Amino acid sequence: NAGPTKRKEREPFEIDFAAPMSQAMADGLYTTAASISSITLPKAQWKSKSRNLLPDDKHFSSRQLLRLFLKPKAEMGSLRPSGGRLTAD
Amino acid sequence: LAVNLRKVQEVCCYEDASSKRHGDLEEFDEEQFNQEVGRCVLRVMVVKKSEPIGDRIVRFLTLFLKYASDKDNAIARGEDGDETVFMETPTSRLVSHIISLILPLLLTKDKVVRFRATQIIAQIVNTLDSIDDELFQLLRMGLLKRLRDKESTVRVQAVLGLGRLADESENGQDDEDSDDDSAGGVLEKLLDVLQHDPSADVRRALLLNLPFTPGTLPYLLERARDCDTGTRRALYSRLLPALGDFRHLSLTHREKLLRWGLRDRDENVRKATARLFRERWIEDCAGLQDAAEAGNGDQNKAAEPSYDALLELLERIDIINSGVEGGIAFEAMKEFWDGRPDYREHIRFEDNFWDELTPESMFVARTYNHYCRLNDDRKLISMVEDRMPEVTKFAFILQKHLNLLLENVQQVALAAEEDADVEDDTVQQEFCVEQLLHIALTLDYTDEIGRRKMFAVMREALALAELPEECTRLVVEVLRAICGSRPEGEREFCGIVLEGVAEVHDTIMGDDDADASFHSARSALSGDSTPKGKKSSDAGSDVVDEDKAIREIMVNMKCLHIAQCMLQNVQCDLEQNAHLVTMLNNLVVPAVRSQEAPIRERGLVCLGLCCLLSKDLSAENLTLFLHCFTKGHEALQTIAIQIISDILMAHPSLLGPMALTVSPSKNGDPSEDASQPVNPLLKPIYKMYSRSLKLVDAEVQTTGAISLSKLMLASSITDIDLLKQIVLAYFDPDTQANPSLRQALTYFIPVYCHSRRVNSERMAKIAVSVVHSMAERADDLDEEEEMVGLSVVIAQLVDWTDPRKLVDLSGRTDDKDSQSGSAHAILAEEILEKVLTPGCSREEKKSLFSMLGKLYINPGTPATTAQELSDLVNEALEMRSLETTAKNALNKLQTTLGKILARAESSSEERADGGIDFVEASTI
Repeated sequence: NAGPTKRKEREPFEIDFAAPMSQAMADGLYTTAASISSITLPKAQWKSKSRNLLPDDKHFSSRQLLRLFLKPKAEMGSLRPSGGRLTAD
Repeated sequence: LAVNLRKVQEVCCYEDASSKRHGDLEEFDEEQFNQEVGRCVLRVMVVKKSEPIGDRIVRFLTLFLKYASDKDNAIARGEDGDETVFMETPTSRLVSHIISLILPLLLTKDKVVRFRATQIIAQIVNTLDSIDDELFQLLRMGLLKRLRDKESTVRVQAVLGLGRLADESENGQDDEDSDDDSAGGVLEKLLDVLQHDPSADVRRALLLNLPFTPGTLPYLLERARDCDTGTRRALYSRLLPALGDFRHLSLTHREKLLRWGLRDRDENVRKATARLFRERWIEDCAGLQDAAEAGNGDQNKAAEPSYDALLELLERIDIINSGVEGGIAFEAMKEFWDGRPDYREHIRFEDNFWDELTPESMFVARTYNHYCRLNDDRKLISMVEDRMPEVTKFAFILQKHLNLLLENVQQVALAAEEDADVEDDTVQQEFCVEQLLHIALTLDYTDEIGRRKMFAVMREALALAELPEECTRLVVEVLRAICGSRPEGEREFCGIVLEGVAEVHDTIMGDDDADASFHSARSALSGDSTPKGKKSSDAGSDVVDEDKAIREIMVNMKCLHIAQCMLQNVQCDLEQNAHLVTMLNNLVVPAVRSQEAPIRERGLVCLGLCCLLSKDLSAENLTLFLHCFTKGHEALQTIAIQIISDILMAHPSLLGPMALTVSPSKNGDPSEDASQPVNPLLKPIYKMYSRSLKLVDAEVQTTGAISLSKLMLASSITDIDLLKQIVLAYFDPDTQANPSLRQALTYFIPVYCHSRRVNSERMAKIAVSVVHSMAERADDLDEEEEMVGLSVVIAQLVDWTDPRKLVDLSGRTDDKDSQSGSAHAILAEEILEKVLTPGCSREEKKSLFSMLGKLYINPGTPATTAQELSDLVNEALEMRSLETTAKNALNKLQTTLGKILARAESSSEERADGGIDFVEASTI
């Protein structure tokens, strides 16, 4: 059954505070980066042209395809042949 | 898990408590304890970010430090009594120890260690009140460096730490002179990161951790347009409600925040904004009203519904400007009524309400009326019917306020000097009347007495030359509603409106004596109503002439406007309606020939509207509109495209293969062969669209693209070259600055391709040449320009032509045969033919092969097509210097094709077998 394997995955994570510092851990802690740049964000990404803002939303909708420019109120369901009225998935 | 943690906690706390107590007594070694804690902290450093324990221990550590230092300080203060001096205590020594232990780790190579180190430092900064000055400087420097860390998780932590520092600097600017400079730098850097950090998590963390000050506010509010949904949502659902009274925001900010939020592309942002508006902003107003009445406001309890608060809220969002058509206030109020049943119950419109109207009160009435009437809930509808005056009474109210408006308008017109007060009043009254008319549009006109009264009032209003345009438009629409939708109703409507037009013309043009400021000899609509060619019989001077000319232009503009409003609301056959034919000949045609540009343009729009009602009229005038596009300025070009496109939508057969039956002699080529199979209109119309897509003017370009979108979706235009131009315009870097165009096409292209099989096949036919053009475009790109990568273009094209994305249109037999289309098979063929063409560049081949690898060949592809493709693949495989990716793509395709061919073979054998069986059976 799937019980034991599942439990195995959820094995609690333990920190052994008493254990002496392992070599791997020491390496991890005290290996400084080869250069500052290797741990720094590339300069090119410091600036974003758009300031991470959305472009001006124009709220385009299918309604704009279904109505006439001159008579915005009149929807032209009857005027169009079949097949045009679909929305994107 | 928790038990383990708790055990560790207990041990720590215990040891800590004892050590502290004993440390003071110098019995235990404080240093030993510090070493021990430090040792433990180091163990945490390697715990991955995904482990919640790591976070919990860090929190535990800082809580402990906070607690211990408070205790220490209390002890120290007890001895000293001076609170301002930074004191060295056992805990402060421990903090220093930990920080100096961790600081160097900020630069380790391992990102986990950097993350934990930054996290611990950030938390220490956020929880402790004071840190050794020297260390503080180092720590600040360290965090600032991590603000540019490669890992966004580290940057988030750095932001969390620095946010507090920026705060401190703001508060302490006056008394801590030494920090001023550097701390100001922190804030500046953070604001920079807020705008530019590529990770949304970092920006969001900053948004929620920066102090609110007049200096930071614009930067914070700017995030309302952040490209990350979560960040926008955080702003609307967390930052803004916490910001305090919205009235501290500027008027523009309020309007923008509402508009952006309520029209956000994400539903949750919209909801958060609606809640902000109807729960917080109204409360800011209601709370104040409450406080004014009761003397003390309870901040936490929702205030009682207050009509005055609602009026104030509307005033605070500048209702006169935000309440117009297309403004945000209408949507905001819809959300308001939707979420505030208490206000719905509370509101009343008694008689005295209608006596003194303000823009705010009128807007309340209008939005309430609309919300309730356009709701499916029967209860709401009967509620609004109970509270609104009945039609007859409403007509009287409307009449009264129309008259007030007219008085105002006349006052403004006659005033020798500009009087700001009177003008203000007029604007307000105009707004009120507009709202009344909006309500009139929703009323139920089955009540005959009310109907007649309203009809009379509207009829009278229409004849008023001074009535502002927007009101005129609404009056025409109310009349349309009153007349009913039957054909007789429409005829009555046309007749009554045109009577109004004539009256407007007469009252101004005929009133020589009554109106001293104008002189005119002409009066009748039936006469020559165009300004050109008219000679004034009593012209006394140039001034009078000029006056008269202006006067005539105004009258014509007004008449044309009414006609336009009317035409927008009729659908009958033009030739069947005598009123309309008269109007066309006496008003519209002269206007189109006018020398005055504004009159001509309005005339053209009216003519266009007439064309929608008559195919013959359209056929006669298409060349005229084309001419306007060729010769006109941008505004006229836009109008021309709109008219032509609308005509083609209304009469698609005009583009059909049949030659035109009506060939206008004045502009038709006499040698034109009527039996010519190709419609002579096609070429100039295609040319117009093609040109419009390449024009610089964004408006014309967008209009052209949207028009083509409509006509292509309706299959009125099927030209693949125009399709290609649309796709190219979509990708072209020049259209970057035209979001309307881009967004319209973002919608159109996939809908077009995925809605019909033939459409996707058309796209497949142009895809290769699109890639070619885009590659060329990329080559001669200016340095400034940014273009989407070719790989993006390819991915899009592949997606658009993906046969699996076709939406099945039921009932279409040709689609059912081969369940999904074969656009990718066509595309594959196009690609293979292109790469086999000599002269196809190496780069282009590479792109095309990568495209080939992404195609999906429908298992239902006919065997003949598969065979042709297979032959092409074999040919391509023989090419020299093929790269591995190309080979892989080709081999993969060949395998797919092989399967199709094998199955086709076996099925044809089966069929052959079956046939034999049948023959055998019958012979027996």
